[in-house]
Amino acid sequence: MSVTATRRTPPESSGSRVGRPGAVWTLPALLFFGVFAVLPMGLVGYLSLTAWDGLGSPSFVGARNWERLLGDPVMHQAMGLSVALTTLSWLVQTPISLLLGVWASGPQRNRAILSAIFFVPLLLSTAAIAILWRALLQPDFGPLGRLGAFPDLLGGSTTAFLVIVFVTAWQFIPLHTLLYQGGARQIPVSLYQAAEIDGASRFGAFWHITLPQLRNTITTSSVLMVVGTLTYFETVLILTGGGPGTATTIVPYLMYESGFEGWEMGYASAVACTLVVVATAVSLAMVRFTGFGAMRSTREGM
Amino acid sequence: MTTLRTGAAGALAVTLATALTACGGGDDSQMQVWMYQDSLAVVQKDAVERFNEDSEIEAVVNEVPGDSYEDRVRTVMGSNDQPDVFFNWGAGNIRPYVDEEILLPLDDLMESEPEFADSFIPSIMEAAEIDGTQYGVPLRGTQPVLLFYNEAVFEDVGVEPPETWEDLLGLVDTFTEEGITPFALGGSETWTMQMWLQYLVDREGGAEVFNRIEAGDPEGWRDPAMLRAAEHVSELVDRGAFGDNFASVSFTEGAASTLLSEGEAAMHLMGSWEYSTHLDQAPDFAENDLGYAPFPEMPEGEGDPANVTGNPTNYFSVTADSEYTEEATEFLQMTDDDAYVQDMVDNGEVPTTTDAEEYLDDSPNPEFATFQYELVQNAPHFQLSWDQALEPEVSTAMLNEIERLFTEQITPEEFVELMAEKP
Amino acid sequence: MTGMSQMAPEHGTEPATPTAPAPSGAPPSRTRPARGSSRRRPNLLAGAGAFLWLLVVGVPLYTLLVATLQRSENYMASNPLVPPAEPTLDNYVTAIESGLLGFVWNTLLVTVAVVALVVALTTTTAFAIVRARTRWTTGVFRVFLIGLAIPLQAVVVPVYLIIVELGLYDSLMAIVLPTAAFALPVCVLILTGSMRDISDELYEAMALDGAGSVRTFVQLVLPMSRPGISTVGVYAAIQAWNGFLFPLVLTQSEENRLITLGLYEFQGQFRVDIPGLLAAVVLSAVPILIVYLIARRSLVAGLMGVGGK
Repeated sequence: MSVTATRRTPPESSGSRVGRPGAVWTLPALLFFGVFAVLPMGLVGYLSLTAWDGLGSPSFVGARNWERLLGDPVMHQAMGLSVALTTLSWLVQTPISLLLGVWASGPQRNRAILSAIFFVPLLLSTAAIAILWRALLQPDFGPLGRLGAFPDLLGGSTTAFLVIVFVTAWQFIPLHTLLYQGGARQIPVSLYQAAEIDGASRFGAFWHITLPQLRNTITTSSVLMVVGTLTYFETVLILTGGGPGTATTIVPYLMYESGFEGWEMGYASAVACTLVVVATAVSLAMVRFTGFGAMRSTREGM
Repeated sequence: MTTLRTGAAGALAVTLATALTACGGGDDSQMQVWMYQDSLAVVQKDAVERFNEDSEIEAVVNEVPGDSYEDRVRTVMGSNDQPDVFFNWGAGNIRPYVDEEILLPLDDLMESEPEFADSFIPSIMEAAEIDGTQYGVPLRGTQPVLLFYNEAVFEDVGVEPPETWEDLLGLVDTFTEEGITPFALGGSETWTMQMWLQYLVDREGGAEVFNRIEAGDPEGWRDPAMLRAAEHVSELVDRGAFGDNFASVSFTEGAASTLLSEGEAAMHLMGSWEYSTHLDQAPDFAENDLGYAPFPEMPEGEGDPANVTGNPTNYFSVTADSEYTEEATEFLQMTDDDAYVQDMVDNGEVPTTTDAEEYLDDSPNPEFATFQYELVQNAPHFQLSWDQALEPEVSTAMLNEIERLFTEQITPEEFVELMAEKP
Repeated sequence: MTGMSQMAPEHGTEPATPTAPAPSGAPPSRTRPARGSSRRRPNLLAGAGAFLWLLVVGVPLYTLLVATLQRSENYMASNPLVPPAEPTLDNYVTAIESGLLGFVWNTLLVTVAVVALVVALTTTTAFAIVRARTRWTTGVFRVFLIGLAIPLQAVVVPVYLIIVELGLYDSLMAIVLPTAAFALPVCVLILTGSMRDISDELYEAMALDGAGSVRTFVQLVLPMSRPGISTVGVYAAIQAWNGFLFPLVLTQSEENRLITLGLYEFQGQFRVDIPGLLAAVVLSAVPILIVYLIARRSLVAGLMGVGGK
């Protein structure tokens, strides 16, 4: 498009200042973000240094919550589980959604129809999906249980964890499939034609053309997945309540449990701080990784 | 066109803003009564209806699902939208609110209405007294934990309910061989597992073991009786006493009770409210086949086999900031009215009033009512549910460890050690 | 040039508008969709894989629908895969009678408010970030960027504190405000991307016309970034519609219950009436289903746009 050249010119030197918005245009959003997002992030840091039972006023206790955090086996386990959940989710969701997305990008009518069905889980909320699966998997009264002896998947430590991985994959693969579908549609057909002339196999074409062409989509989708696993908390709350025992207590769930069940808001805040720190690191890595300009160019990868 | 659109947008914005900022419960014009949602709550709902008939203000019941009741109460208590009257477990359960002066002391009521104050069993009344001040009024019948069983299943198999621990283990094997789950257990809520441990500890070591823990001595967890009780739990799990699926069975959602009434499980250790649950969900079963027995004796244990555990009762408390403290105290006094007590009895409850005995014959199941009444009357010690007796931060951790014990993620030894070392 | 940018995406200069990846909305200047491989013999392996996934997605959804049509009393004895001989809508009636519609209405209010708030706040900010390009606006942009990955779950404790202090506990606004705030970073990012593609010539034309910043914003920026705005709208709507933790912690009464929390509470209320519970699950998706049927294209495009920031 022809806008490229002009857009690249240094902003301050081109065009008049007339019609340019002042800094005041950013104030509403900034204030709003400040009060409801930045302030809470600061407060979470402050609260992590206090003891607060949610009723009275927080009282300053220094690093006590942090010392406890370092020695808390449940926290160690939760961190391990969170990392495992993120990794496993990525390993499960990426290949499936990539393959499905590339497949669905084909022009055939049956693919379009199937894509529409694949899309359906996206229409359900996280809570609806978790409740649906909890009912489906209930060993005595669920539909599967009624067919015959059905193992109590949510009752076993490992199986419960795998159920979380599966249910969240079931929920989010449609979104990522859509991203890959969009990405694959943007790959110039000429590349495949050239490969075909060179006698490349279907697999070769996929490996040498599709995958490299999709690398920006892979980045975007992976970032969304990593950030997304931090929010799988709700699935955990509804499906397993962090259990059996603490077998599915991931960090966000531990934060919720110590805060809104154990009423140790100070300790919960210390747990939350680790989440904020990790998330900020992910944000920074993301910005760095994709670059400022890349926020629009990633789209070209789609 | 633009003006039209702006106008429409403005109107929408105003509507939205009004709808969005409206606080719940119409809290200015109504007295909020928070109830734990279960089959017993009909009594309180009826009482509210009667209250509204002669009252200038309107009281409304907010039924909160059982699984999250305490968390929701605690959240709302920290806010500016507190209920006026709320259901609780007395004792340690309301202490944090007393400490923050959130609750209305009821001493004035006790003094001005001595007849009302004296109508309840004194020990029950005392459980809602914090540092010498009354903060709650009994609102329910007494709720000991009992061993319920399916009489039809017992007849089919040709066995009797267990009287001793040996009997119980024998029955576990018998039912497992028959392909029947010996005990229904709603393991998706941990307090159902806690009931087992409570009884086992009491039978093994008596009331002292937990009293020590409640008093704040974590070494109490290392008491040999605690370890033996935890070992009994492992043994039961190993023998298949609870079947394979208990971790996904929910009591509050009705699954555990349904297993018992459908005959898929033979027994169910549960609070006395199990009776009204069945009366509500499976009336035929409640009337014909629901058997009950005390928790078995443990001949070698140090505890008195007459001890019971559970909830002595539940209480209504009033918040100090309520606009309706006067009306709320009026409402509280309904809990010893004939109509109220009669309602409880009709629903299968045994009231905590001193004249409860007179009502027992009116119960839909006088035999059950009498059994329950005598069990509690004769109990030297009535152990309050542990999670209600302890502070929430300890009980949350404890419930997690109990769940891990039942699901065999930790051994009995680890359970004891982990609990003793909790910060 | 188009081809070049696609082969070297990181230096690409293609517009960031989300119309581009729309299934059928690709502008003519773009290459046709990649159908190279599919022109050859049918890809059986991929077809089998897709079919397998169809089972994974389809079977649970099918069981869900079958169960909701089953009479509660027949439910336990029936085969979950066989449609009931006498289907019934009673379960849906039960779910509606339990107050589900009110919860859906509340959720709609919250969703509309969040979307309106987010669109109003981010369009203005993005406009300033893209056009003012002062040190201040760059700084503002950075602030939002850092917030990109921070999950609202992490700050629920202080948000509870703030909402209580503001006296907003148990109001729908208590959910709207923080939900909208946490949607801002992603939306600012999407919109700045979108607005950068408005050419300077157009701005200059506006300026020559004597337009101030407000007129430029209304007459040029808003219409030109409509695709970006719809992506932002879809994103914000999903956040609001899906929200569970804030409703759980910040509201308590039935009047202010949202559908996600309502479903959660139904679990206790319906007890073992699984058909009733599942009917509520199905009903909770109906509003989104309607939106999907009416505006499938823009919804899909909007979702693809979420990924393409």
